Amino acid sequence: MTEKVSLTELQLIIRDSLYMALPDFYWVIAEISELKENSAGHCYLELIEKHPDEKNVRARVKAIIWSKRFTFLKAFFENSTGETLREGLKILIKIKVEYHEVYGLSLIISDIDPAFTIGEMAMKRQLIIKRLEQEGVFTMNKDLRFPAVPQRIAIISSKNAAGYSDFVNHLKGNSFGYVFYTSLLETALQGTETEQSVISALDKIALTSHIFDLVVIIRGGGSQSDLSWFDNYNIAYHITQFPLPVITGIGHDKDVSVTDMVANMSMKTPTAVADFLIDSVAGAENYIIEMIPGIINASRNIIERNKTRIESSSIRLFPLSRIMLSAIKDTLTSKIIEINTTGKELIFRAALIPADQRSKLTSAVKSLFSRGKLALERNNQRFITGTKNFLAVSSVRMNSLESTLQLLNPQNVLQRGYTITSHNGEILKVSDQIREGDIIDTQFKDGTAKSKVIGKDDKRFEPQND
Amino acid sequence: MAKKEFSFNDAVEEIEKILHNIESGDLDIDKLSVEVKRASDLIKLCQKKLRSTEEEINSIFKDLS
Repeated sequence: MTEKVSLTELQLIIRDSLYMALPDFYWVIAEISELKENSAGHCYLELIEKHPDEKNVRARVKAIIWSKRFTFLKAFFENSTGETLREGLKILIKIKVEYHEVYGLSLIISDIDPAFTIGEMAMKRQLIIKRLEQEGVFTMNKDLRFPAVPQRIAIISSKNAAGYSDFVNHLKGNSFGYVFYTSLLETALQGTETEQSVISALDKIALTSHIFDLVVIIRGGGSQSDLSWFDNYNIAYHITQFPLPVITGIGHDKDVSVTDMVANMSMKTPTAVADFLIDSVAGAENYIIEMIPGIINASRNIIERNKTRIESSSIRLFPLSRIMLSAIKDTLTSKIIEINTTGKELIFRAALIPADQRSKLTSAVKSLFSRGKLALERNNQRFITGTKNFLAVSSVRMNSLESTLQLLNPQNVLQRGYTITSHNGEILKVSDQIREGDIIDTQFKDGTAKSKVIGKDDKRFEPQND
Repeated sequence: MAKKEFSFNDAVEEIEKILHNIESGDLDIDKLSVEVKRASDLIKLCQKKLRSTEEEINSIFKDLS
């Protein structure tokens, strides 16, 4: 007869057998396929092993991290790797096998080695980079020319993301007063939806890429940023193929992801991206402004050269213009005389006209005269500068005339040794003014003499010509 | 790329060309004031594009959200 056992007995035998076979702690490599935390703080996981290219799971088991231990391990892991414990991560854990008659098999996790996960992530990243390099696409977005004026920006981010509002406010409040146009495409930036969400945002932008200058992918940082969602071949590949430059500011203080590496540029934070865009525009404006002194100086040189040309020409030109203006003044003067004469004649004729008609005519003539005078004055204005010049020249001529006149002044005549003869106060110019016996006065420069005329003749004075 | 980017770069190229012309000294004085005015206009236009919101672009972006 076969021995019968109860279920409990069977489970306990299994439990004891397992314990005897595997009593110690063992380090195990596994991938987290599920992770939940309950209200008491205990962490329940499902661990699997799966070949990356295969769909089928090779092995699966449940695991537990008791709450006190979980608090510690969670923080330890995050600080070391910059990632939170989550689905998809490959981990190296220290476990003990436990078999419970009710709950079955579980692995109790007591420790974790973050270096393994870092290594795994780094390796995963390296594989993606190699693949992109082999396909010859790695630098394609980097090779795109960054716009001189990056004003129209497509933003891949989330309204609620830390960093989005900082980015926009920073841009719009820039101290230069530059204008930026932004459009947000709401996107998931962590979790398993990240790949799908980012790619569809990129596709959407690509449909209207002509209205944008560039794309930014921004997200708040900190150690919980789960950068490995961006260590993704598909996202990176899409960026390399994208027609506009992509700038990332995914905010990870420890590391860069493949997305950062293939982007046209990557910065540590969204604010740093905003600063970079503002500086780019400032650089473009500066470039133009720096050309202004060059234009001014070069223009001044040309003007100076031409000024010299003009000055040397005008020295020759001025005498010619004086002659011209003098001729014009003569015409003007004769016209004034004409009008005066005509006016006077008219007034004379007016005298022959009856009184009542005369006043009408006089005022008509007067207005004619003043109108003519006005027209002349208007013409005169045009020649005023020329006339002023002419007068300046004339005054020079006048001065010389003046000196000639001075020479002819009787006083100066005396000074030169000539005398003035007078008779009864009347200056004598011809000998007919006196008769023999008259008393005449002679004025010398230093005194007078009285004389009596004792003889006369008609001999004229002839100047000696040598 | 886009219309605005195109004209900003065009403007910069033209200003560079004017500067080069003036500096080479071959420009005669009659053309000088025309060229300087053109450069000044282009510079003002560029600065305006950087600082004034263009309604056309603004409404396109508003429609996107």
